[in-house]
Amino acid sequence: MAMKKFINKPEDLVGELLEGYALAYADKIRLAGNRLVVRARRKAKGKVGVVTLGGSGHEPALSGFVGKGMLDISVPGEIFAAPGPPRCLEALKRAERGAGVLFIVLNHAGDVMAANLTMEMALKQGLNVKQILTHEDIAGGPRSQPENRRGLVGAVPVMKVAGAAAEAGYSLDACLAVAERLERQMATLAVAMTSATHPSTGQAIFTLPDDEMEIGMGQHGEAGTGRMKMKSADETAEAMLGQLLADLSVQAGEQLLVLLNGAGATTLMELFIVFRRMHQVCEARGIKIARARIAEFLTVQEMAGFQMFIARMDEELLKLWDAPCDTPYLVVR
Amino acid sequence: MADSVGFDDLAIMLRAAAAKVVSEHETLSRLDSATGDGDHGTTMRRAMMVGLRAMDACTSRDLAALLNDVGWAILGVDGGATGPLLGTFFIGMSEAAGGRQMLDASALAEVFEGAVAAVRRQTKAQVGDKTMIDALVPAVEALRAAAKAGEGPRAALAKAAEAAARGAASTKDLRAKFGRARNLGDRSIGSPDPGATSVSLLFRGFADAIAAR
Repeated sequence: MAMKKFINKPEDLVGELLEGYALAYADKIRLAGNRLVVRARRKAKGKVGVVTLGGSGHEPALSGFVGKGMLDISVPGEIFAAPGPPRCLEALKRAERGAGVLFIVLNHAGDVMAANLTMEMALKQGLNVKQILTHEDIAGGPRSQPENRRGLVGAVPVMKVAGAAAEAGYSLDACLAVAERLERQMATLAVAMTSATHPSTGQAIFTLPDDEMEIGMGQHGEAGTGRMKMKSADETAEAMLGQLLADLSVQAGEQLLVLLNGAGATTLMELFIVFRRMHQVCEARGIKIARARIAEFLTVQEMAGFQMFIARMDEELLKLWDAPCDTPYLVVR
Repeated sequence: MADSVGFDDLAIMLRAAAAKVVSEHETLSRLDSATGDGDHGTTMRRAMMVGLRAMDACTSRDLAALLNDVGWAILGVDGGATGPLLGTFFIGMSEAAGGRQMLDASALAEVFEGAVAAVRRQTKAQVGDKTMIDALVPAVEALRAAAKAGEGPRAALAKAAEAAARGAASTKDLRAKFGRARNLGDRSIGSPDPGATSVSLLFRGFADAIAAR
């Protein structure tokens, strides 16, 4: 597939996108140090810092969620590539406000390697940092083998909850505990319909026949569990939701947070239709969808498809999800 | 140089290895296009350039400090696993070198074994998985075997370079188990792994530099 994108030179991609982003949202974020995306106004002293890392190209994550009530600092790498440990270490140091730092890492090989190296160095230097790994993609394998499960859009609610906890004055251990509780109660499943192109190379990141879709594909084209002929929205919703509800053993009477995360080329129209069926299924099973958001949180360039996310919520998690935040791509008043 | 590698020898080895990789970076990218993003050569060239800059900036004449500076600089190179793995490689060498300033063949083997151990802490890849490990492990084993047989650093590094080249060539027929190439399954067979090829170029650089001393 031929790539049609509004870029200049591929090697300048990330620098230019960050520059443009910082100029557009100068009231909320800015660039600092070695290409770190930081809050325009630093967090108050005495509150836990929240930092994340990740490749560029998944939008508006992760840098889109830097701001009051969510992330203090995002360390963006090249397209689909993790940033290096030195910049991550710089971010951890910058985010320290006297109460320690929570480092949110999505389970992808490159990110984990960078994070581990960063943590080794951070601990050697006596930094007060704790790491949480998100790995909620049920297509990677069973819940009993979390290391095989990739971190997908679920990292975004984890950032929201951790950021809210930090803003509310939770200690580092308490921030970690509540973030981990959400992490253990969440599950995502992705479906892919058409591929995206890698903006630096112009190459398609995977191939799928015109009339097929793949449930369970990873966000860099990693093989999923099932290629199949295109299904209707209702059939897709039932198939995916069924697997997610089973994975988390969701019972009648429980409350869910639901996110439908567009992969980049899938319309809201389609996602609303999918959600309608999801709601019907949950209602029939006595499960309450307490909160829902349908948007692009973490795309894969112009891929067609979406990630379906559910999380079992309790009162504290709901309160943190509802807490105010002010980032360029998520505002809660 | 005699039978030991000192600071100046090591510096020349590192520079020669970097030059070798930079001169072949387009080949590396071409190899990477077959099964990956096509950017391995560019990333390796960036890594070598930052490594060389770190060497220029290093004011110490301590072996471990030089290796650590190079490793830490390379760790920062963006572009997938290359920076972290290669950076870890040199940091591992630095840690194994400790305070030693002259490395005979046996100490050299220990230093490279330290590199392998450090890299293994960051990846589960084994020989046969079509990664840099396929060149690195045979190279270091050959180095150790040569040292055990009483050979000096020159001969040991030459044997290591040959083993690395054979290891890299062997990856042509392997199915990728790691990295983006893994997504291709059987379609990853038929082209050598770029990471393994880079490692063999590094060892060729090391060996050639020392052969000329």
